[in-house]
Amino acid sequence: MAVTESSYSTGSSEDVIIETHDVSVYFEMDRGTSKVLDDVSLDIYREEILGIVGESGSGKSMFASALLDAVVAPGKTSGDILYHDADGSTIDVLSLNQEELRAFRWEKVSMVFQGAMDSFNPTLRIKGHFIETLKAHDFDVDEGLERATDLLAQVYLDPDRVLSSYPHELSGGMKQRVLIALSLLLDPDVLVMDEPTAALDLLMQRSILRLLENLQQRYDLTVLFITHDLPLVAELSDRVAVLYAFQFVEVGPVSELLERSSHPYTRALLNAVPTLQTPLSDMEPIEGSSPDPINVPTGCSYHPRCPLADERCIGEEPPFYATEHDDHQTKCFHWEDAISEIPLAHHKSTTGSSQIVEGKQSEEPVLTLDNLCVHFENNNSFLGLFGESQTVFAVDEIDLDLYENDILAIVGESGCGKTTLGKASIALQRPTSGEVQYRGDDIWAVKDGRSESDRSYSAIRRALQIIHQDPGSSLNPNQKILRTLESPIKHWKSDMSQTDRRSQIYGLLEYVGLTPAEEYAQRYPHQLSGGEKQRVALTRALLMNPEVILADEAVSALDVSLRVEMMDMMISLQNMFDTSYIFISHDLANARYFAGSVGGRIAVMYLGEIVEIGPAEEVIQNPKHPYTKVLKWSTAELDSDASQEELPLRNIDIPDPVNPPSGCRFHTRCPEARTECRVNSPKLEATDDGDGIEAHQVACFLDKPRDHPYWSSDQLVSEDNPTLVE
Amino acid sequence: MWGFLTTITSLEFKGGKAFKPEEEHYLCMHWTVKRIFQAVFTVYVVVTLSFALIRLMPGGPMDYLRATLLGPDQTGTVDRERLNRQIELYMNINPDQPLWEQYVQYMSSVFTGDFGQSIWFNRPVAEILLEALPWTVFVMGIALLLTFAINIALGAIMAYKEGSRFDISMTFLSIISTSIPFYVGAILFLLFFSFTWELFPPGSRVNARLDPWTFEWIMSVLHHATLPILSSVLIGLGSGALIMRGNSIQVLGKDYLRVGRLRGLPEGRLALRYVGRNAVLPMYTSLMIAIGNVFGGAVVLEEIFTYPGVGYYLFVAVEARDYMLLMGAFILITVAVVVCLVVADLTYGLIDPRAKGGGYDEHA
Repeated sequence: MAVTESSYSTGSSEDVIIETHDVSVYFEMDRGTSKVLDDVSLDIYREEILGIVGESGSGKSMFASALLDAVVAPGKTSGDILYHDADGSTIDVLSLNQEELRAFRWEKVSMVFQGAMDSFNPTLRIKGHFIETLKAHDFDVDEGLERATDLLAQVYLDPDRVLSSYPHELSGGMKQRVLIALSLLLDPDVLVMDEPTAALDLLMQRSILRLLENLQQRYDLTVLFITHDLPLVAELSDRVAVLYAFQFVEVGPVSELLERSSHPYTRALLNAVPTLQTPLSDMEPIEGSSPDPINVPTGCSYHPRCPLADERCIGEEPPFYATEHDDHQTKCFHWEDAISEIPLAHHKSTTGSSQIVEGKQSEEPVLTLDNLCVHFENNNSFLGLFGESQTVFAVDEIDLDLYENDILAIVGESGCGKTTLGKASIALQRPTSGEVQYRGDDIWAVKDGRSESDRSYSAIRRALQIIHQDPGSSLNPNQKILRTLESPIKHWKSDMSQTDRRSQIYGLLEYVGLTPAEEYAQRYPHQLSGGEKQRVALTRALLMNPEVILADEAVSALDVSLRVEMMDMMISLQNMFDTSYIFISHDLANARYFAGSVGGRIAVMYLGEIVEIGPAEEVIQNPKHPYTKVLKWSTAELDSDASQEELPLRNIDIPDPVNPPSGCRFHTRCPEARTECRVNSPKLEATDDGDGIEAHQVACFLDKPRDHPYWSSDQLVSEDNPTLVE
Repeated sequence: MWGFLTTITSLEFKGGKAFKPEEEHYLCMHWTVKRIFQAVFTVYVVVTLSFALIRLMPGGPMDYLRATLLGPDQTGTVDRERLNRQIELYMNINPDQPLWEQYVQYMSSVFTGDFGQSIWFNRPVAEILLEALPWTVFVMGIALLLTFAINIALGAIMAYKEGSRFDISMTFLSIISTSIPFYVGAILFLLFFSFTWELFPPGSRVNARLDPWTFEWIMSVLHHATLPILSSVLIGLGSGALIMRGNSIQVLGKDYLRVGRLRGLPEGRLALRYVGRNAVLPMYTSLMIAIGNVFGGAVVLEEIFTYPGVGYYLFVAVEARDYMLLMGAFILITVAVVVCLVVADLTYGLIDPRAKGGGYDEHA
């Protein structure tokens, strides 16, 4: 059954658009040759969507660059990359000269990069980017601009407005879509996308994927979609190739891979991803980390992390085995055993199995937000002489209680005000109006000395801590971990002896899994991985013995496989330290995993307002607000035959918070909106379906009885052009 | 002093938040008015300071003038009233008036362009400075533009050839030329080009016997200006080139350059419109500050080449304790710096679109 040594190919070659044979990318370094792509062979079929999945540092970006011979110097590419043109001719990509390469790129194969934020010249209007591309390839400019206008409208942008904008005037999601339009400008046959959505929030990711599907069909594209996020690509792709340690380990049709993946790594990846369906207890992180390109393990490179590994795996490199399905191949000796030995979490059904750990929450809230508003002024007026300055309504009239041992997950897309709400709740941001109370005392009154309470501001400050999104920049790079952790204790508990202080730090470091603690404490931040840095940040927050920790997208920067591990640890620490969390995320699945494990709540935010709040499982399984439903839609499912429903939004981009829409703020995008929504704004009220869960509240007329004016007003759907932004 | 001015300026770039294009123009107007108001206020404060200096300096201009007018034996027969009239003529201040009246009088004369009378030259200060101004602007302006142009080109080439022998040797030379004070270079130039080889005249602005605006006259002007310009340019190379090199290397690593290259844009366009344009941006403000500092920077240079520009007169004024001339030059330099900074701020939006608004905030 073994196919030729470490190569993968299929018989039918006429429908193959790109063939790669033994392609390697290597860097010469002082410590030796670093092979970041190791003799990979893969055929890409015409008009398919091929997903390439791998952890960070697995060589997936190198594969993308190699296809266009665009590996950045001093990297070198070897092997054969053959491009079969539609007219039957074949191009050997690696032997093209500069001028041929210039024509090949973008006309035949174009590429969308990871960093769309930075893919445009900041001093050139968007239109300039289109025109210069057309000119460089001797295309007719007027015709090309017409095509550009068409393409931009297809990706839900207002062509005229976008073309005359500078890059900085567009949001991240807009830029990414402009980049897709730009990459299709010269009508290429292949589109290579390297983590095109990684920096965007989930809703935008999913919206872009949906657009991509339409574009692929309309322009007969072959799409290569490279990502670390298996569920994301699973819905989109026809086939998936899994890359581990610079080699493909499994290739196959997406349904095969999801249902009968036979490489232990693929199965582990599938189990490491939190979704809305999987039982919480079955998610597990992958132990260990991916190998260094200079020091790849012998034999099967996955053997150090593989539960099935034996002597043979260590000594011998496995060939590709074909499984029962023709097109599905696996590079593992034990592929037959893998299916039975490693069960897939998403195969189990959820119904009835949601085991919620009852939190031991107190009656008295730790934090109370009372009619909290945070508005930012655009401070551009001249001594207040001229006119209105503009107000950004970041957080608007929010009431909320947080109890001891509570978990509140705040969910929403970028720009909805969730970070501002989080910061205001732990008194890092002074509210414009309203109160934040800590155990009954208005925090800002205490700070200003207006309060009669004998509680000091510094005690409150200590009780409310934060973990930032980016663990790298929240640690001082010039200080050893020990010093970073010591300084807050020195400040707050100055009478503590050095020995006590250190033993406390070492104890905590060990608890968060950084062992040996003494050694970790002597390291500098750059000597730690992202996950380890985040643990240090968590340790620093915990040292203060806080009552509330604000975790602001604390796991979003981590690799998928590390997220679950980090969240598990935070939850176990809650039991130990009696801490409450405010967990901010754009990912409903993470929020569910985190809040759901201990019976916490999920609050859904949109443009400064909470539109739905309730117990985690209740909000996920029984969402009431259309926006919650949209967020749920945006959370990819591990389900290959996901329904091809249309985008459940009338408008992809979130409106400008400077001037929020009247009535219900969601009405401009809501698929259910009626004229009533434009006029009146629904209040956050307990849901009306009589399921007895009083804590579940929603702000939507849909939840109102039939005699509500909403039901008799007109639908808003086709009123304004759905392809236009604003 | 200049640090203080720069702080005022740089404050303006903070505080931008997302606003919509239609309001942009409206806000821009606020900002412009505010910026100009700040500039006027700065000039006002400086002139007030100059008034205070005249009044308060021990052994200051008042005493000096009185001593000069009374003569060496201090017994002069000049009566007090005549003395005060003299002082008023020279300094726009009548010592007998109450302080506030003196202040109002001084400020109103300065702002109407009357800087008083130079003691040394016995001519109105404004007249001297106005006559010297074009010459300094001519010499220093050309020198400055040349320096910047060469530095930018040099820095960009060095960045493109990063790590090559050219880059390394130019970096080395740049560091040397940056560490040599320009007057050392100027004196060496004077020694070789004027005195040893007699290629260029050692001083003055133009051959005074020629009629203005004839061909010979223009050639003579250029001939006289060559050495000051050359010495200023050659020694000015280096630090600017190193800054440009750093900026360019940063831009060369940007994704948009990589994407541009993949899109098949010609190298020339990438070098000019992508690398050059974006690498020059951070240097624009420093160019404007340098323009403002032209008069201050010309002091030693013009003295060495005995080139009667603003700097030369400033030097003479210091030596001769000609306070009114000194004050005039001082105010002139201040105004030049302030005006250039305002122009830099107001025009920065034209070359960098991002400076106009704040852009959208990605993180809520």
